[in-house]
Amino acid sequence: MDLQISVDAESLTRRVADLIDTRRIGAARPLLAAARRMAPSSPRLAELSALLALREGRLDLAQAELDRAIADAPEHAGLRKYRADLRRQLGDRVGATQDAAEAVILDRNDPAAKALLGLLLLDLGQSADAVRCLHEAVADAPANPSFREGLSSALVACGNEADAAATLAEGIAAAPGSVALRNAAILLAVRRYDFAAAVQWADDALAAGVADACLFGLKGHALSSLGQHAEAADAYTEALKLRPDDPYVRHLVAASGAVAGAERAPNEYLRAVFDGYADRFETHLISLGYRVPGLIRAALLHRLDISDGARIGPVLDLGCGTGLLALAISDLPLGPVVGVDLSPRMLAAAAEKQLYAELREADLMHVLATDATSWPLILAADVLCYIGALDDVLAAVHARLPPGGLFVFSVEELPADTAEAWGPGGKARYRHGLSYVRQAATAAGFTVHAIDREVLRYEIDAPVPGLLAVLGRAGDDR
Amino acid sequence: MTVEAALVRLRQGDSAGALALLSSRLPDAAAEQSACDAALGMVLLAEDRPAEALVMLRAAVALGDISPATLLNLALAEDRAGEPNRARGLMHELERRLPDWDEPPLRIAESLRAAGETAAAEAAYTRALEIDPRRIEALVALGALMVVRGAGAEAQGLLLRACGIAPGNAEAWDALGLALMLTDEANLAQTAFAEAQRLAPRTLDFALHLVDAAIAAGAGEAELARLEQLGQHDPLNVALLMAQGALAEKLGRRAAAIDALEAAVALAPDEKLPAAWLGSTLARTDRPREAEAALARAMMLDPDNAQLVSNHAAVLIRLYRHAEAHAALTALIARDGPQVAALCNLANATVSLGQQEAAVATARQAIALQPDAVLPWRALCNSLPYRDGTSATELLQALRSCAALLPRQAMAAFANTPHPDRRLRIGLLSGNLRTHPVGWLTIAGFETLDPTAFDIVCLGRNAAPDPIALRFAAVASEWHETDSLTDAALAAHARALGIDILIDLGGYGDQGRLPACALRLAPVQVKWVGMQNHSTGLAEMDWFITDAIETPPELEHGYSERMLRLPDGYVCYSPPPNAPAVGPLPALANGYVTFGCFNNLAKITPRVIATWADILHRVPGARLVLKTHQFSDPPTAALIRAAFAGHAIAPARIVLRGSSGHRAFLAEYNDIDLVLDPFPYAGGLTTCEALWMGVPTLTVPGEIFASRHSASHLTNVGLADWVAPDLAAYVAMAVAKAADLDGLAALRAGLRARTKTSRLCDAPRFGRHLGAALRHAWRDWCARTTPCTTGAAG
Repeated sequence: MDLQISVDAESLTRRVADLIDTRRIGAARPLLAAARRMAPSSPRLAELSALLALREGRLDLAQAELDRAIADAPEHAGLRKYRADLRRQLGDRVGATQDAAEAVILDRNDPAAKALLGLLLLDLGQSADAVRCLHEAVADAPANPSFREGLSSALVACGNEADAAATLAEGIAAAPGSVALRNAAILLAVRRYDFAAAVQWADDALAAGVADACLFGLKGHALSSLGQHAEAADAYTEALKLRPDDPYVRHLVAASGAVAGAERAPNEYLRAVFDGYADRFETHLISLGYRVPGLIRAALLHRLDISDGARIGPVLDLGCGTGLLALAISDLPLGPVVGVDLSPRMLAAAAEKQLYAELREADLMHVLATDATSWPLILAADVLCYIGALDDVLAAVHARLPPGGLFVFSVEELPADTAEAWGPGGKARYRHGLSYVRQAATAAGFTVHAIDREVLRYEIDAPVPGLLAVLGRAGDDR
Repeated sequence: MTVEAALVRLRQGDSAGALALLSSRLPDAAAEQSACDAALGMVLLAEDRPAEALVMLRAAVALGDISPATLLNLALAEDRAGEPNRARGLMHELERRLPDWDEPPLRIAESLRAAGETAAAEAAYTRALEIDPRRIEALVALGALMVVRGAGAEAQGLLLRACGIAPGNAEAWDALGLALMLTDEANLAQTAFAEAQRLAPRTLDFALHLVDAAIAAGAGEAELARLEQLGQHDPLNVALLMAQGALAEKLGRRAAAIDALEAAVALAPDEKLPAAWLGSTLARTDRPREAEAALARAMMLDPDNAQLVSNHAAVLIRLYRHAEAHAALTALIARDGPQVAALCNLANATVSLGQQEAAVATARQAIALQPDAVLPWRALCNSLPYRDGTSATELLQALRSCAALLPRQAMAAFANTPHPDRRLRIGLLSGNLRTHPVGWLTIAGFETLDPTAFDIVCLGRNAAPDPIALRFAAVASEWHETDSLTDAALAAHARALGIDILIDLGGYGDQGRLPACALRLAPVQVKWVGMQNHSTGLAEMDWFITDAIETPPELEHGYSERMLRLPDGYVCYSPPPNAPAVGPLPALANGYVTFGCFNNLAKITPRVIATWADILHRVPGARLVLKTHQFSDPPTAALIRAAFAGHAIAPARIVLRGSSGHRAFLAEYNDIDLVLDPFPYAGGLTTCEALWMGVPTLTVPGEIFASRHSASHLTNVGLADWVAPDLAAYVAMAVAKAADLDGLAALRAGLRARTKTSRLCDAPRFGRHLGAALRHAWRDWCARTTPCTTGAAG
């Protein structure tokens, strides 16, 4: 029996668009191929192909598709918009911004294009222009929560936290079910040290029926900052119920003393909470249980005298990656923070956080050798594991610390029964022995405040053991 | 001349042209007339107009044309016009006259085959092949007949010859593949089917046969990849998508199956088969809304298909559209007569409309039609607990009859190490390890089970992960998908996993796998939540988790299992994280009392209605709010209103509310002063939710397990004074509680906090109790398995 096709290309194309919209990628793919066989190529089909490839994470395919289609139809706003999105994902911010601007010019009525342009301008540090674009997008589509969220970020970048908070409040009123807006509001309150407001935002969200692990986690963070540890533990427990598969949440709960068998006092551990938790960009790392930023935060709270609120800085963040560490310490009186990394894509992600005074695409040894700045605090989270012998880097850091300055870093630890100083780990990393690290630090002239054994992260459920070192330059050692 | 020209056209495939030529000419002699008639007859036969052909060919013969070709055509026309005996007589005559001509025996064989006389057909094909051993039609047809009677090896010889002679004949390759499947040569069959598919890529049967062969050869995944690849080159080939759907479903990859079938329906929206397949595949998922739409579409394309109507009704039941299901099934039975599947679905729809007696009668009607089938007994066992007056003895009897019919087969003895104190592997068997009553009432217990003593393995479905499914996944060391496994395969799988104690959390429910337990998945089998309305009646179910309120010793006789009686309640409730706040007692603002019941309509019997009417008469001004999915349907709501009106209750006093989201559902307890529990089937999770919302439930427990849930929950939050000993007390207590607004308000204000700290929600305590009960069951097995060593281990 042969089955007869009885659909025309146009309705098939509509169907494909619906399926992509509802994330039915598996059904959309064969139908798009069928539509392309039935009809001549068109910008609409190219747009759908690119969108499908984007949804599937096949960025190369999407790029080829869009480049070809835009060459054929340079005046098509939709194609420009998709390529802007794609280029942004690929880290090409300038190209993305050009496409987004083109899309806005070609179709002045598309709020999504305006919002995208706004977010890209924000990435490029043009916050005032970003605010203007996002304002227009919000005015065109007042119920869209992600436009509001973008506008609020842009306002924060302009230093206008009050308007940012108001924007989020309006957004929540317009879209009460938006978890992202609720969390953004709580996070903003935490950043403003207004923990009572953060708890209030969280309770409002709960009263509206929003149940979200991140929300409970942030509420726990705010409560612990207010010294309400029992309530914080309750919040963490609820977070765990919603995200039981997340080792980081599990760690927070264990640390808060909410479950039996927690070994240390809740107070001490709660400091390890970092608010990057709320940031969707970090989901992957957090789901791997990446703990280093929290550990460094805890170490700084323990070592630095920040009780008077005076800022300590400038701070050098070596191997800053996507800026997780800056996020973890963003509510401490530290800064300005300068980040250094080799990867432009990582740096782009770090820039989105709006937490760095400066980001440099450079080798860390090069920066230490050529920049004569004196840094009272130098941090290196999960980067020295890419270096074998630590002697040179330790000497270089020591030279850039003023007396009383601190250097805090993590390395992965060699198994305790190995005699070597350091050796290869997996994934192009090295592991270092505890006694070697201590001896190298001393040889470089540091005072060793602490070298603690810590679990750095969880990989496929196995903890990765490591060392967290806090080294100081003594006041009188020049 | 004309005749010859016409025949040339016919050979070129232009039968219409031939017909035109022949009809336009007036013959001038009888001979010419007969030749003309014979040719016309042949052309009409080719045009599939056998009645007209018959007239022309008879005329030709009457005019003296008795050439073999004309006679054979006449025979074919007779055969196709419905005169097979006359046809075969003529053919036999020709066969006798021209013993070297293979055409007559071939045509005889085809006529016999069409009439279902396969043995005689085979003999005739054989005669045709004796004359011409290379006659392809005979080879393929005879081979196919042999396949049908299971003679694989014999068929292969013929079909190999056919493929050699006519390598472009797709039917021959397909038949060869089928013959190879019969001798378990799936690899070779795959090659044969692939050739058939290459020759006729859009023929669905060939693609489906290839799917079967690939599965049999253990090459399902490779075939799936191949189909996807083929689809990229031939995106308008619906058969490929259908095969992809069928294969993905068989490989347990249901989401991929649905995607492929959805694409097939989108391309061929007017074909019956894709729509029916998509509908029935969706019906096996927790996407009943989509299943309903797909099945409705399939029914439109294929209105006579009773199976579709019945499946559609089953999906409507899952969507709580019971009244529509009831109407559709009643109409189907009126049209096609009583059918077991339709009657069973009808029983389920009927009980959910609150017509418990009728449901039991319908189930019994299905049993009478097919007394040894499981399904009708399941329908009866699903109806009886709701019916007023069902005794534990009657229910157990039905449950035992049902369980006794479940298929069993010999299985190997268990090799689990009978050490009483070792860490145990606990298997959780259920399709509902998710946000569902099973999840809300059990997850906290599993989370608090000592992980050093118990290792949890989920035997469930890979449904979309919801918060509670994530919790099950986090607490389990392994998660196994059981959807695509038959009961026997599931039992083998569980045994291979080394499950020590199997806990059934599905029963005979929607996604339940209780029938697999008849094959024993583990040496110790335990029944817990999940269609746990009473005993399972299953001889292989060893234990039943309960408590002293649910199953006091004097009611134990109603169960086939031994009791694992937990010290507090038999479940541990996990309250939802986003429940609305508890409001003030509504009576204080309203000035009248509002009774409520948010239980399923199936639990509301005529006697329940009469009793509630009695209470309303005794509490003037009071109202009753009933909320359940079924009241979204206005005719159903009207029936219930009429029932109350029959007890002289003014319509304004009865408020009926339909479906809402879960949070809105909880919020509506802020309109209720106290809950009246239905009977005999009490509230379970519903009672817990009411407590969480600050509203107590007045209950009257009976004999069967399901009638005692509320009594257990209320006792465990310290509200034993809300459990009535009998119906008279139930009425009197309702009246008394309704008169004590201060008492109700005070109770309400503290009830959530009280519930939170009560035994109903004390997860660590519950986990210890559950662990002890499971250990007890295990030690019992060890003691019976190795009496000597356990004595020593004591």
